[in-house]
Amino acid sequence: MESLMLLIQINWRIVIISIGITAGVALLMGVIIMVIANVFTIKGQDPRIDDVKENLAGANCGGCGYAGCSDFAKALVEGKAEINDCGATNKDNKIKIASILGKQFSGEEMISVVACNGGINCADKFEYKGYCDCAYANMHSSGPKACNSGCIGLGNCASVCPVEAIKIIDEVAVVDRDRCIACGLCIKTCPKSIIKSIPKSAQVIVACCNECKGKEVMDICKVGCIACGLCARVCPHAAIHLENNLPIIDYGKCTGCGLCVDKCPKNVIHKVG
Amino acid sequence: MDSAFVALLLTGLFVGNYVVARFLGMCPFLGLSKKVDSAVGMGIAVTFVMVVASLLTYPLYQLMVKLGIEYLRTIVFIFVIASIVQVLETVIKKISPSLYSAMGVYLPLITTNCAVLGVATLNLESELVTGLATALLNGLFSGLGFTLAIVILAGMREKLDKQPLNKHLKGFPISMILAGFMAMAFVVFTYIKLGE
Repeated sequence: MESLMLLIQINWRIVIISIGITAGVALLMGVIIMVIANVFTIKGQDPRIDDVKENLAGANCGGCGYAGCSDFAKALVEGKAEINDCGATNKDNKIKIASILGKQFSGEEMISVVACNGGINCADKFEYKGYCDCAYANMHSSGPKACNSGCIGLGNCASVCPVEAIKIIDEVAVVDRDRCIACGLCIKTCPKSIIKSIPKSAQVIVACCNECKGKEVMDICKVGCIACGLCARVCPHAAIHLENNLPIIDYGKCTGCGLCVDKCPKNVIHKVG
Repeated sequence: MDSAFVALLLTGLFVGNYVVARFLGMCPFLGLSKKVDSAVGMGIAVTFVMVVASLLTYPLYQLMVKLGIEYLRTIVFIFVIASIVQVLETVIKKISPSLYSAMGVYLPLITTNCAVLGVATLNLESELVTGLATALLNGLFSGLGFTLAIVILAGMREKLDKQPLNKHLKGFPISMILAGFMAMAFVVFTYIKLGE
């Protein structure tokens, strides 16, 4: 009963006036926005730009070097950029974009991996106390790690990653495969250039970039490649060969049998995926 | 006029700084202060919107008083500011693409920001604001005050990002502490007695 009384006490006139005015203002503003948007539409723009943009991943990561996906779409249509500059878009959509642009495309989905497993397994040259920035640290006699091509572990890659796919675990950067969109920003950022782009279907990776001879690597890192060549010998498909004291895997031949992973004495070759 | 001008300038920039003295607009203040570039862009956009909002809402309020509906001012202000900024964004996109890329991307972020609404509302209550011209100046200086605060914080955060900090402090927590220190520093300005 009391609530009913409350209902009667409300000044309905003011409520209706308020609703009317608010709705009126909203309607007026809506009409103004509509008219202005119609008057000021950007004409003469290539309609393909919108089609291309719709098929892009929309991550706006900036990995392609353009300011966001719409800028990249514009550059694509104008022929300034290549479809493969974008890592985030999946293969199906890239093929669609290629057909919009009238080009042929047969690419493979890529993913970034950090080709170093050093971190706490790698000896230190000196104690570094300075800016928490790999590029800075790298300026001081190539960083605090004894290995000149090892991960410094201060996380420049982690801070540029737009999807937070990179974490520093035990002083070494690790890429989360499920999150990585292969934009390639980390690859450009790493002062040691140890982040590599590999096909997503690849099943084994070589997690070392040190091109020194076995003895030197053995002295500084517990998990560095000593170029023993066991992997190359054990591979039944001849997919591995040594180059500059590092194994190179031909992903076209590799079947992911995992024999090299088991055989490697330093655990340099890892199974992924 | 001169003394009113100086009073408005000091209030907008220091004494009544919207972020560190009145604690309005904290969201963009902490959210977009990671890099100085984006902080400057955001500051310019906020200044622009504040000027436009002051210019619109001050006469609008006079009209509303005449119609006797001033109790609706908050909701009407939000409507009007948000839609006009939307309109301006469309116009800028068409007329000047370079200005759009510098400022336009930040405009939608602040259309209904409380700092902007704060300027519109406080314009009506401030003793310093006596007419449309002073309302406009108040909007301009408040926006500049916001820019000042956000650029200072962004500069400090940029440097701090590279410092070896405790991981629990790194990032957002240290930014909150910094913002607190800035607010404490700005409190000193409130002891300036204006108009004496």
